Amino acid sequence: IKDKLVEYFRTQVRQDPEVPSAVAAIRTLLEFLKRDQTGETILGLRENLTQTIRRLEEADSSVAVSSGGELFLRFISLTSLEHPDLSQCKKVMVERGELFLKKISLSRSKVAKLCHTFIKDGAKILTHSSSRVVLKVLESAAADKKRFTVYVTESQPDSAGRQMADKLQNLNIPVTVVLDAAVGYIMEKVDLVIVGAEGVVESGGIINKIGTYQLAVCSKAHNKPFYVVAESFKFVRLYPLNQQDVPERFKYKADTLKAVEDLAEEHPMIDYTPPSLITLLFTDLGVLTPSAVSDELIKLYL
Amino acid sequence: MPGADKEADLTERIEAFLADLKRGGCGTGPIRGSGETARETTALLRKVTAQARWSSAGDLMEIIRKEGRRMTAAQPSETTVGNMVLRVLKIIREEYARSRGSSEETDQQESLHKLQHFVHLKANVIEAINELLTELDGTTDNIAMQALEHIHSNEVIMTVGRSRTVEAFLKDAARKRKFHVIVAECAPFCQGHEMATNLSKASIETTVIADAAIFAVMSRVNKVIIGTQTVLANGGLRAVNGTHTVALAARHHSTPLIVCAPMFKLSPQFPNEEDTFHKFVSPHEVLPFTEGEILSKVNVHCPVFDYVPPELITLFISNIGGNAPSYIYRLMSELYHPEDHDL
Repeated sequence: IKDKLVEYFRTQVRQDPEVPSAVAAIRTLLEFLKRDQTGETILGLRENLTQTIRRLEEADSSVAVSSGGELFLRFISLTSLEHPDLSQCKKVMVERGELFLKKISLSRSKVAKLCHTFIKDGAKILTHSSSRVVLKVLESAAADKKRFTVYVTESQPDSAGRQMADKLQNLNIPVTVVLDAAVGYIMEKVDLVIVGAEGVVESGGIINKIGTYQLAVCSKAHNKPFYVVAESFKFVRLYPLNQQDVPERFKYKADTLKAVEDLAEEHPMIDYTPPSLITLLFTDLGVLTPSAVSDELIKLYL
Repeated sequence: MPGADKEADLTERIEAFLADLKRGGCGTGPIRGSGETARETTALLRKVTAQARWSSAGDLMEIIRKEGRRMTAAQPSETTVGNMVLRVLKIIREEYARSRGSSEETDQQESLHKLQHFVHLKANVIEAINELLTELDGTTDNIAMQALEHIHSNEVIMTVGRSRTVEAFLKDAARKRKFHVIVAECAPFCQGHEMATNLSKASIETTVIADAAIFAVMSRVNKVIIGTQTVLANGGLRAVNGTHTVALAARHHSTPLIVCAPMFKLSPQFPNEEDTFHKFVSPHEVLPFTEGEILSKVNVHCPVFDYVPPELITLFISNIGGNAPSYIYRLMSELYHPEDHDL
């Protein structure tokens, strides 16, 4: 039954490439909750859900799936489930699950609405790799009749930056792809840097595609604002102090983790950017300074 | 009818206030300080609560929001007006929640529009606004009381232009300690001169310097204490022209920069939009109209405000105590409700 769920998850992602992987994971969990017959007690249900989250993490090792899954679990189970009947409780949990799903589907538009006012007319923006949230922000700014140009880093090893450039060209936004190594060279020309995040950690720092840390250090050296756009389900309960502290299960793709014996030979796919390099974070909870993130995170997880 | 008279009186007062706002704060510096503006706004909002016709908390909030929008449109750079409106809105939400006895956030949105304990709510809101007014009256004294902890004997303090809060702060410290103050004159309005005169009347040794000399003198300064027009949501400042220079010079010499700002100056705005951010006044102060020949060939600007980023600030002293700039987000969430941020 676990394999069927992973299949369901993969179909969700395939059908709608715009949907964040965490949303697809949560839909899968909700489906599981509806179909699950084996849970006899609430604790049993929770156990099953936790195990499903583990299986999904094995399928897609991004941070958002892990944090989204945990937040979903907390949201539906930390309510007063006082009904003596298990099916009643399950119904309440499913209802709350639907509510959670609805809330987070709207989060991307909320973030875009907050952020696009920070893009001024004639601005030159630098972004890293391919992020659907950044795309949405740039879309709203373009819809607001602002004129701006975008530089995208190529972002090896998977050249995700080129896909981003194609999507931006379809929106009629002038875009240039630059080498990852050319970030220092191009930094003097740009006005601001906007990146997405795969995860936002407790310190206010972010976990994102490899190369983000470099970008942040460069923008700090040139005094350019470094903005991060992320939905609130990406807030994760980690506190890395340096690059080594990020858990291995997030650093590499799921297939690599299963196939390879000695991870020291592999190139990591993500890096950690400390909060001192970030100017502001735009989330659906509002515009936050990095020091405000831990407060909001605790409120989410409580 | 007495009711209609009261309403006409209220609208008249509001119109007078708006006209005054439009005129105030231009030319040779602000005609009224921000403290008075805050007090006037709050008193006016109290009158609106007492006299306007409303039947539920939601109605009252709509009325206040409408008046608030008109007031902020009259003078967008005077953020204290908007801040007071947001404080009153938060007060209404709190009183409403207290009278209902619950704190369920999601219910509040719909039920605010229901008819609930109308009479008690009105009295409670007016009482809370009175408390706010008392708080506003005491802000300068509260800040000045903290002066002795920060200023020590034989120190050299630098300040910019004229701020009533900093003046009271320094005068309070001068009663028990001897120190030296250097005032940057802050061209083109040169309010620093007035500040220096007031300080020397309180027997504080004062020196006035030109703005160009700020960096040169900074190596001998122990602390920089400044006032500001607004504190922004990211912990940055919108302060008088020349403050950014002082802040950068202080950072270069690792001199602590202390900002004395009462809580009503805290605004939920972020420094993003340049057009609403800045205020320009007549360039006559920079280049007088008598220099006719040059005027046609040159663009002259006279901006009033400066943006100071939060990294350059060491400490904020407000009427509720001292805080780091990274803590501003917390103070904001206590003063204002996030739903109200966009009036």
